[in-house]
Amino acid sequence: MNEHFRVSQKLGLMFRPEEILPTDIKRWAIKQLQSPSPSLGIGNVGSDIKPWPKIFQPSLDEKAVKLRIHWETTKRERKKEGGFTEAAQRANDRDNLMYKKDILRFSHRNVYGSDQLRLRLMSFWANHFTIGSFDSREVIGHAMEEAILANFNDSFSTMLYKVTTHPGMLSYLDNHISAGPNSNQVRWAKANGEQAGLNDNLGRELLELHTVSPSANYTETDIRNAAKVLAGWGIDIKGNSLSSLKEQGGTTNLWDMYKRNWAEPGNKMILGKNIGTGKGSLKQLTDFLAAHEHTVMHLSTKLAEHFVSDVPNKTDVNYIASAWRQSNGNLDQIHTAVIERAIASKEPKFQLPMTWLFQVLRLSNATYFMGWNEINTSNNSLKFNMQPMQIFDELGQNLWAERQPNGYSSKKEEWMSGEMFERRIRFADSIWTSDSQIQSTSVIMDRIGASKETRKLVESLHGMSSRSKKNQFIALMCSPELMGLENA
Amino acid sequence: MPNYKLTRREFLKASGASLFLAGIPLQGFTQDQPPGKISVIILEGGMDGLSAVPAFGDPNFEKMRGILIPENYLKLNSFFGLHPSLKNLSSLMASNNASIVHATSFPYKKRSHFEGQNLIQGGGLTPFSEKTGWLGRSLELAKIPGRALSLEMPLILRGYGENDNFFPAKINNSSKININLVEKLTAAHGKLGSDVFEKVKQKSLLTSENMPRDPQSLAEYAGKAMAKKDGPTASVIRLSGFDSHASQDDGNGNDHGIDLAKIDGVIAAYKRGLGGAWDNSIILTITEFGRTVAVNGTRGTDHGYGSAGIIAGGAISKSRVISDWPGLAKNEQYEQRDLMSTIDYRSVCAACIEKSLGLDHDLIASKVFFEPKLPRVFDYLFS
Repeated sequence: MNEHFRVSQKLGLMFRPEEILPTDIKRWAIKQLQSPSPSLGIGNVGSDIKPWPKIFQPSLDEKAVKLRIHWETTKRERKKEGGFTEAAQRANDRDNLMYKKDILRFSHRNVYGSDQLRLRLMSFWANHFTIGSFDSREVIGHAMEEAILANFNDSFSTMLYKVTTHPGMLSYLDNHISAGPNSNQVRWAKANGEQAGLNDNLGRELLELHTVSPSANYTETDIRNAAKVLAGWGIDIKGNSLSSLKEQGGTTNLWDMYKRNWAEPGNKMILGKNIGTGKGSLKQLTDFLAAHEHTVMHLSTKLAEHFVSDVPNKTDVNYIASAWRQSNGNLDQIHTAVIERAIASKEPKFQLPMTWLFQVLRLSNATYFMGWNEINTSNNSLKFNMQPMQIFDELGQNLWAERQPNGYSSKKEEWMSGEMFERRIRFADSIWTSDSQIQSTSVIMDRIGASKETRKLVESLHGMSSRSKKNQFIALMCSPELMGLENA
Repeated sequence: MPNYKLTRREFLKASGASLFLAGIPLQGFTQDQPPGKISVIILEGGMDGLSAVPAFGDPNFEKMRGILIPENYLKLNSFFGLHPSLKNLSSLMASNNASIVHATSFPYKKRSHFEGQNLIQGGGLTPFSEKTGWLGRSLELAKIPGRALSLEMPLILRGYGENDNFFPAKINNSSKININLVEKLTAAHGKLGSDVFEKVKQKSLLTSENMPRDPQSLAEYAGKAMAKKDGPTASVIRLSGFDSHASQDDGNGNDHGIDLAKIDGVIAAYKRGLGGAWDNSIILTITEFGRTVAVNGTRGTDHGYGSAGIIAGGAISKSRVISDWPGLAKNEQYEQRDLMSTIDYRSVCAACIEKSLGLDHDLIASKVFFEPKLPRVFDYLFS
């Protein structure tokens, strides 16, 4: 592959046919960090690419309102009040649930967006800060865009704080129901013979997965104290109104859901750092963790594993880590260092199924995801009737799936199985079969500067039938070059 | 109080499962049949052994677990009971076809899901030390080649080049895989890729069947497949949702009971599927850790150490609760918080391998678990 496509494979999503290739690919990549693109997509299969309508991009407050309407309606429906019908429940889902539209918008952005590098970084961080429960899926898209992507020109510590306090994360890891053992809430509960108190789910994963990692040798006391700092944060936005948040000594902002009455009084010691009390203490903790040397090394390694090489060398990791230290965790500087190392390293990087799918669609200019007007159609004649959720489930990589908080691995050994590879063949087949206007294999190979080996592979399947053309397309997309693997 | 019970029920409703079958003989490969079949149920999240198998005989049990104890526990013996969701297991215990090992764990004490899950599948001495899994290595030692049935290949089954996986795809607009295409891809890829495409080729020769993906259907399917002549020797089912930090109590929501009922249902489905092959089969659970003895503030339990293991199957001839009970008093707990582990669960796994694959214990100890001095507990389970 030529340098443009080699870089856009490792760090981006491949250039679309209409995109003009930049003269200096490295400069382009670094400049990308400052160039957001709107949420582009299609209303219907076959219609023009344009920005998503505002109505499908609700704010967190609007989402919460819809969620509560959905929940109240569902409860009434379950009690069979007011003559509810299945059609009414379907309408309730259609009007008030957002996650299907969120996944489609995410898919469209990745297929049609011009900020391919930022989108790859967004997926990396969304996987690092996995939010993976049924309850939080309505706000996962919001967390990706507003807690992660929106902070790319800020620091890691800002991102960490915004993710940690996001309603999706707080409910996914049970923090919204955790109360300090000496809080008012627990005293009142005990007086009434009720159970209330702490759980350490988010406190533990904040240390283990999101920041310092087990290499920091934290103790159970450190974890418990982190959980105490977190106590009071969060609310079930589906089941509680904002006024009840206020009654519990909190604010009425959904992204600032601190219940004073649930907080643990007193200072807390975590990894040798004395953290204060009150609402501001969480920021104190996340700032401390964000700058911790074990966080710097843990995340520099993880970034290098994802973008540079499965087994990054010390130089790669140290380069990123030193950019991190010198800039006090400025994400622009960290991401720039990642870009520089990924370009400098000539090693191929195996592409995970989701990234590969987006790359295939962009290279071939295929329409594969339905339009936003078609998301609720159950019309069987619609050719593209696979819901985005189903597409990602079948690929084996779905950022909206219920899963454990450690996220997907960046290492190829986790993805190299016969079934996983068969899926790639089937998806390439499905894409080719679904769109008769698809870019021809030879045009794609010319544009990316396909290697001699890739051309030989595609040529070996030459024939006059449309079946051979399809097999040539599949072979190209599953070639070592486009999967990011070594040649024979 | 907040209505978090509902929250948890919603979560459980959508929890999934995966099935992995291994040791399905490949075409043209003949060898002696191993003495039995082995199935592993991985309980992801850390199963609370004190909830599944409560220790009523312990003087501190009621005090520590009071609010989480439902009224209708089943009685096993004068000391231990069974959670009411484990009804099928209870009748298997009554017919001498199941046993419990209690206060047990793999040797991992650091309470991280991800280190723990890696260790219980890899079976090495420390997390992430092994690139292969203990069941994969056992199948290799027993020279039983085969395929696994799954979307991804779980670590526990890795370690044998011949192992492959399979899970029926539902991808619109895709047709039968073209063998010529796969052969060309196999030739074009370097060793890593071509090994995998070689398996895609073998797969394309088989006919796939439709099957539902809920845990019980998967288990019944696995049982039926294993019962066939030349059927698979091993299977693995993964159940999620055992990370019960909140709302564990049985109350109206029957919360943690839903998770435990899944184990019960999977064992029952295996038995249905296996039919006559049940008699030489073993099914065992593994989990990354147990949980705290004390209840936490959100009617749940946090990550701990010792848990309980369930072993079922016709290969068992006498039901027992096998335990060197450590006690539940504060000073008897591990680090004054968790159920202590007094039995190395690797020994239990080794006994199940010995029984089902006919391998010598010393060989399993040194070549599968890299622990030549691993105690042999075979007689406690199978005599």
